[in-house]
Amino acid sequence: MGLEDSYAKVTSNRHLHGQLYLMELDCPYVAANIQPGQFIHMEIPDRQANILRRPFSIFDADEDAGRIEILYQCLGSGTDAMATWEEGFLTRMIGCIGRPWEVPYSAKSVLLVGGGVGAAPLFLLARQLEENDVQTDVILGAATEGALVCRKRFTDVFQCEPSCSTDDGTYGRAGFATALVEEALASGATYDYAAVCGPEPLMRAASKLLLDAGVATQVSMEKRMACGVGACLSCVVETTAGKKRACVDGPIFDAEDVVW
Amino acid sequence: MVELGVSLGSLQMKNPVTVASGTFAAGLEYSDFVDVAKLGAVTTKGVSLHGWEGNDSPRIAETPSGMLNSIGLQNPGVDHLKEVELPWLQGQGASVIVNVSGHSVEEYVAVIEALEDAPVDAYEVNISCPNVDAGGMTFGCIPESASEVTALCRKATSRPLIVKLTPNVTDIAEMARAVEAAGADAISLINTLLGMAIDAKSRRPVLARVVGGLSGPAVKPIALRMVWQCAQAVDIPILGMGGISSGEDAIEFMLAGATAVAVGTANFSDPHATMDVIDGITRYCEEQGVTDVKELIGGLIC
Repeated sequence: MGLEDSYAKVTSNRHLHGQLYLMELDCPYVAANIQPGQFIHMEIPDRQANILRRPFSIFDADEDAGRIEILYQCLGSGTDAMATWEEGFLTRMIGCIGRPWEVPYSAKSVLLVGGGVGAAPLFLLARQLEENDVQTDVILGAATEGALVCRKRFTDVFQCEPSCSTDDGTYGRAGFATALVEEALASGATYDYAAVCGPEPLMRAASKLLLDAGVATQVSMEKRMACGVGACLSCVVETTAGKKRACVDGPIFDAEDVVW
Repeated sequence: MVELGVSLGSLQMKNPVTVASGTFAAGLEYSDFVDVAKLGAVTTKGVSLHGWEGNDSPRIAETPSGMLNSIGLQNPGVDHLKEVELPWLQGQGASVIVNVSGHSVEEYVAVIEALEDAPVDAYEVNISCPNVDAGGMTFGCIPESASEVTALCRKATSRPLIVKLTPNVTDIAEMARAVEAAGADAISLINTLLGMAIDAKSRRPVLARVVGGLSGPAVKPIALRMVWQCAQAVDIPILGMGGISSGEDAIEFMLAGATAVAVGTANFSDPHATMDVIDGITRYCEEQGVTDVKELIGGLIC
């Protein structure tokens, strides 16, 4: 599937918690073509200072409605500008970019691990697994209860209660999500595949636990990106096969190939 | 109908627009957005003899109306270019300028020698990359070494030889004169301006290499000034670049004395940027009653 630079119109944009926002946009091309784990590269229009696009995973997509949702965290001038976009705001996005999650066809049991806003690229995958009747466990970690913004969506859509951890202990297990991964494996749970997305220390630690337990594991790498199409070599990831581009060789990598 | 063809030395271009090396790879990555045969030429990513790993990450930082990069000329080497990218470009019907890099004078020459039997229309000798420790900008900051690299590359090929200059010098005109005297058919400028970004909260540099090259609209006034100064200093044609993102930007460079222009960082903002620039040049000419774009070269009224 080729890349398109499509117009996208904001249909809602709301504050969830702290620096976290959820934006809904009309973008039929992306809604119809996105595969879980892929991302779009979005323009920050009307801001002469922000010349670069920003990469975002797609949190959820509704092909029939032509709608997509983006979960984002305000971390700089670009995302701060995004938080001010109102209904009707028009931007452009290149999509659908990159290597998607690759769940083995034979997988019967899958584990999803998301840390903070890193849970965003896992929800569409969860939806796909649900549709294929694959047994799926979900572990979510965040700084506080309020920051566990994806939990309710998982609960509402899948009637599954994710295992949760918070750094401050305000919800679920106190500590990091890796402790829950350790517990799940220790309790005898077996998985054919695991998808991990979040801060690099979480992905590194969770991947090690899962790989040691013999679970085929993939991670979603996030790097500073300029072109988003594989040309500029800004976003390289160290792998056992040398430097690879997070944008088009990833963002999904086999955890065993990543040199952390 | 506007005549858009220009001659950069003996390189014939169907329009004045190419891409800045390193912003477009060899074009394949942009082929969903741009028909590379419609460009005046494709300028490929800098290539060395056996390939380089490039620098550590983070390699880029956005700055107001610009960006810093410290990629460090990561490339897989000249054999890969010959086996993969050049045949693809030939198949697309594109004109090709290969950007040639080296850690030593001998390496520049060896890269050109390796390419002499390949479908290449011109060479751009990169003596201006600020992101490598050996070679690159170190050759481009001293007239004697710039002259030496140019002269030896000149001996290695009869193809059009463009030398890309760095703006990180005291007197750009002196550098332009040095490479003209050494046999360059054209000069291209500007490469990026050495800069840096600091994260106040962490008290650390944003780039792993600490310093990097600034590009984008922020550098356009400096690039225009340097193109204009070089146009006064030399008789060979100039390939102008630095912050070009519209047809009007391109026209400004031509008025300052550029024969052709390159679109660089704008490709990242908008993958169609090159096509927009070509359309914008045509529109400007139509509106201004210009029948041949060459009339604009050096047409600044002052």
